[in-house]
Amino acid sequence: MNSSKGILTILKSGPGITIQDRGRKLWTRFGVPTSGPLDKISFEWVNHILRNEPNSAVLEIGQPGLKLEFSAPCEISLAGANAHVHLNQEPVDTLKKIPIPAHGILEIGHLDQGSRLYMGIRGGFQTPVVMDSRSFYKQITTTDFLYRGDQVPYISTTPSSEPGFSNPKWNPAWFQIEKLEFYPGPDFHRLTSENLEHILEKEFTVSPVSSRMGIHLLESVPNEIPELPTNPVYPGTVQLTSGGKLIVLGPDAQVTGGYPRIMQLTEFSQSVLAQKKTGQKVQFIKKEL
Amino acid sequence: MKISSPVYSQITPFMGELNWDFSPCDELLELQVAWIHLLKTQYAKEISEIRQGFTAIGITWKEFDFQQKFISQFKSLSPKRQELSNRIWEIPVCYEAPYGSDLGNLALAKHMRVNELIELHSQPLYRIHFFGFLPGFMYLNGLPEILHMPRKAVPDRSVFPGSVAIGGAQTGIYPMESPGGWHVVGRTPLTLFDPHHDPPVWASIGDRIQFVPISSDEMTELLENPIPPTHR
Repeated sequence: MNSSKGILTILKSGPGITIQDRGRKLWTRFGVPTSGPLDKISFEWVNHILRNEPNSAVLEIGQPGLKLEFSAPCEISLAGANAHVHLNQEPVDTLKKIPIPAHGILEIGHLDQGSRLYMGIRGGFQTPVVMDSRSFYKQITTTDFLYRGDQVPYISTTPSSEPGFSNPKWNPAWFQIEKLEFYPGPDFHRLTSENLEHILEKEFTVSPVSSRMGIHLLESVPNEIPELPTNPVYPGTVQLTSGGKLIVLGPDAQVTGGYPRIMQLTEFSQSVLAQKKTGQKVQFIKKEL
Repeated sequence: MKISSPVYSQITPFMGELNWDFSPCDELLELQVAWIHLLKTQYAKEISEIRQGFTAIGITWKEFDFQQKFISQFKSLSPKRQELSNRIWEIPVCYEAPYGSDLGNLALAKHMRVNELIELHSQPLYRIHFFGFLPGFMYLNGLPEILHMPRKAVPDRSVFPGSVAIGGAQTGIYPMESPGGWHVVGRTPLTLFDPHHDPPVWASIGDRIQFVPISSDEMTELLENPIPPTHR
């Protein structure tokens, strides 16, 4: 592989763009969040189709309106939200690997379906590794988000033509489901049967107060559980706050929490939820071990 | 009172938790430390992550079968208890304005003089149970009941790094700038978390800490010429 350096420059950006690899699982004992992608399904897919190492760093894009310039040739892939993407002003098929020429300008417009787009690059983005990971996290990495003018290094590669090699198949509508599967959390048994019924039968709406720390749901559930000692929580843990709100913790959430931990979403459902837009509805269904 | 054996509950095919139905205390921490030591030695190859809370130990297993094996063995396991550390860290804290931004109101709410509150807060030895909430944040046990105070209804948008605060039945130090709902009573000039150092924190689980009041002149001096924390 030809390994000259490439630089990705952010020409225009909305908020909420980060670099993510698989995160920092070995440092949680010091209170360090795991970080990593909100939607692992799409994250793994972009690296898979580029035949990257599974821990390769990708861009996680949570807002439309992004314009990027690549200094040197490379190959990228996209997954997650369905976006309108143009390369040098020509529309591109986002389901295929995209060869990028030197000084290629990529524009990412509206996110039609889904709310997080992942962009992988052959060889992975090369931002600094801190605590075994390139994943952005405020006060661990030097930056928390990418802004206009920021530059991200990568390894320039010549896109291979790969004759006869078809693009892998992928259903981009995989997250168009409302049901989220969960295992009962450690404090599930503390719910009254009425409140449990409420959670299982009602629909919940994704709140605008959502971030990589947690996705909040709008509807209230009466909370009659007394205050509990602070104990471990994970990405996908559903907490019931003292105000009766459900919060599904994300990859940047704290590693321990004091609210009752009533559910643990499956990894697949965590990815489905990560792709929901503000105002979309979800339902919970219990999964048996 | 004797602490009964923990219960193990499986949460997902790969995750489970050892849980004690007991209030946080030194004896329980000793048991947790013993269990973590056992898990790290006897199940090192099977476990991908261990996470500690006040009354639980969360375990993530590398494979489904490893958790099943542990479930079948765990009743016969007997972790060896060891005494907790004797190390006491002395944490300089400036309780003066502007560092202790909520000190005055907290004292008023408690019908106390500020110096009384400072004395009550800086006298006890606090035990470090685990790290959580923020990178390098120490969960401490030992806040006198008279200083317990419900968290603010509306959290502050930004709390300074090093802020020493009281929230509920706990006291702690914000290692980094963060939104926060605790009542800030002072600030330490010490650095609590360094991502470029391994380990990124200076204290260990089981150590104790004591807050040592300092003047604002000493605070200014220590902020300009930082020194590493000392222990006895």
